[in-house]
Amino acid sequence: MNNEWLNNLRSRMDDHEEDVPEGLWDDIKGELFSEDENNSIPGFIPEIHEGGAGKKEKGAGAGQKSLFYRLGGIAAAIALLFLLTKILPQNDTDKTLSQKPANAKKEKEKNSLNPLETENISGSKAESGVESPLAENILNTGVSKKMPAQKYFNTEEKNRVGNYQNIQEIIKLPAAAESFHQESKITQKSSPADDTVKEPIIEKIPDEVLFKQEEVKEVYAENTKHTAKSHDKKSWMLSMLTGNVASNSAEQQFPGYASITGKAMNVEQVWSTSEYHDDPLTAILLANQSQPVEARIRHKVPVTFGLSLYYNLGKRWGIGTGLNYTKLASELHSGTENNYIKGDQTVHYIGIPVQVNYNVIQKGRFTGYITGGALVEKPVSGSVTTTYVVNDEIKDSSKERLDHKPLQFSVNTAVGFQLKVIDKVGIYAEPGIGYHFKEESAPNTIYKEKPFHFNMKFGIRVLLD
Amino acid sequence: MEESKEQILVKHLLKKEEAAWKELFGAYSGNLTYVCSRYVAEREDVHDVLQNSFIKMFRSIESFEYRGSGSLKAWMTRITVNESLKHIKQKGDFKSAVEVDDLPDIPNEEEPDFEEIPRDDIMMMIKSLPDGYRTVFNLFVFEKKSHKEIAGLLGIAENSSASQFHRAKGLLVQKIKEFKMSKKAQYE
Repeated sequence: MNNEWLNNLRSRMDDHEEDVPEGLWDDIKGELFSEDENNSIPGFIPEIHEGGAGKKEKGAGAGQKSLFYRLGGIAAAIALLFLLTKILPQNDTDKTLSQKPANAKKEKEKNSLNPLETENISGSKAESGVESPLAENILNTGVSKKMPAQKYFNTEEKNRVGNYQNIQEIIKLPAAAESFHQESKITQKSSPADDTVKEPIIEKIPDEVLFKQEEVKEVYAENTKHTAKSHDKKSWMLSMLTGNVASNSAEQQFPGYASITGKAMNVEQVWSTSEYHDDPLTAILLANQSQPVEARIRHKVPVTFGLSLYYNLGKRWGIGTGLNYTKLASELHSGTENNYIKGDQTVHYIGIPVQVNYNVIQKGRFTGYITGGALVEKPVSGSVTTTYVVNDEIKDSSKERLDHKPLQFSVNTAVGFQLKVIDKVGIYAEPGIGYHFKEESAPNTIYKEKPFHFNMKFGIRVLLD
Repeated sequence: MEESKEQILVKHLLKKEEAAWKELFGAYSGNLTYVCSRYVAEREDVHDVLQNSFIKMFRSIESFEYRGSGSLKAWMTRITVNESLKHIKQKGDFKSAVEVDDLPDIPNEEEPDFEEIPRDDIMMMIKSLPDGYRTVFNLFVFEKKSHKEIAGLLGIAENSSASQFHRAKGLLVQKIKEFKMSKKAQYE
């Protein structure tokens, strides 16, 4: 059959336009932004506050002391931001709406986000019940309910993001090396820090983190390989985060569908669902009927935070132990581009390391060393969030906990840098490599997929003499 | 890599900024109105479907993944088509309208030649097709769906989709002939 006329017609009509129905935008605006009118638009905030930043800097110049406090506050802010970016919403990058269990500090963020989240879920629920006009109603009321929350979120974030902008302005001035130096002040300065500066900083971080993530996400999404861009833009710490995830994360690919365990879905899983007509999995299977499907699992680079005790054996040698926290995140994308199952797995480990260190250089408060050791880790909690996306819309989302969690043994070696903050306490950073012994029944993580891998450890070390 | 305008817009859309959404509306609503009117005949219904589509975009912009220039438009079009189909299905006995006529295939291998027809008139012709024919025709031609996919989407048999399309094609050939005749008549 000659399809030329089809292509001709298609390309001919491609950018055709019709008159937009009258008042359509007003109706949409009424539906989506009706309560937003008195709010200024968040996008303009950076400009507004940039001016403010200038002023603030001048003010800071006036009093050396307050600048010092401010720096402390900033350092604390960076550290917190960094920590939260690491621990918290790493898989917010996936645009799922899953929410990690929040602790007290994240309370604020939760408050402002939850309405949004619940709304969105109820929205997608409603969408799956497409057929009934009732569902449509729920959908609509959902919108109006969302607005106050949105507004609240916006105003709050306006203040915070704005403030944060000030700080970022200031931060950008010091060189990259100095930002590391600032970090060292966190521990020193966290208690006496100027309340007026510090309080708001801490509070606004969660919001900012989310925003940051959203921005970073764009970069991830389309070019996982090109990290150069994020490198030159962000501060030292943030660039490392993106760099890590992009360049070192492991990726598995399978033809066909797969679950996050990396195993192909068995026939029962596929067919048992087809009895229910509205089932999201069925919807995906149907939508992908005649298209090639594949599954990708991406494991993000593990990041470890630790508290370690260190005992000097002579001048050069030392042994250490302590407590580690590691978060492993993996994402699954199974199906085609528009219809797929998305899984996000997060496993949290608590580990006890035994390390031997050899100090290579020691200059003042700075120590460079190499280290090697072993680590036992116990997964303390883990969860998988599964999201079904049909035609680019989230159809369903569910979360389950991982039950089987065997111990994980590993050996590692690393190059470490330590900076003594006060007498017996130092902070350290250790980029290194590790080998994890395979445990068949363990959840499918980077440990399993790439037993030999890079990792990055941060922590606080207490010296014992 | 430089960020394209589209990507920057998406960033602002994600923040749910009204200005960004207005820009999106301004840039794409004309084309989407066309997409929607291909499926939905009534002007009022087009309004409703488009409104729902934009609300859906607003909510699920998080699920949009940028894949190069034009992907935003493609995404919006998909949502609009889905909403249009949803509307058609809701509106009533769509299935029966499609399945009911079991006429034998007309042996007509002639292909419609749209070359000299103005776009607005093409649109008129498509719009004047019976509901079932039109839906299948649109999905096949503009959404590039296979008959198998169309069958799945509309809940009809695969060969039914094919014959619907065939007949839509036949009708269009006829309409084009009529159109050219009337044009000719004007000149004479």
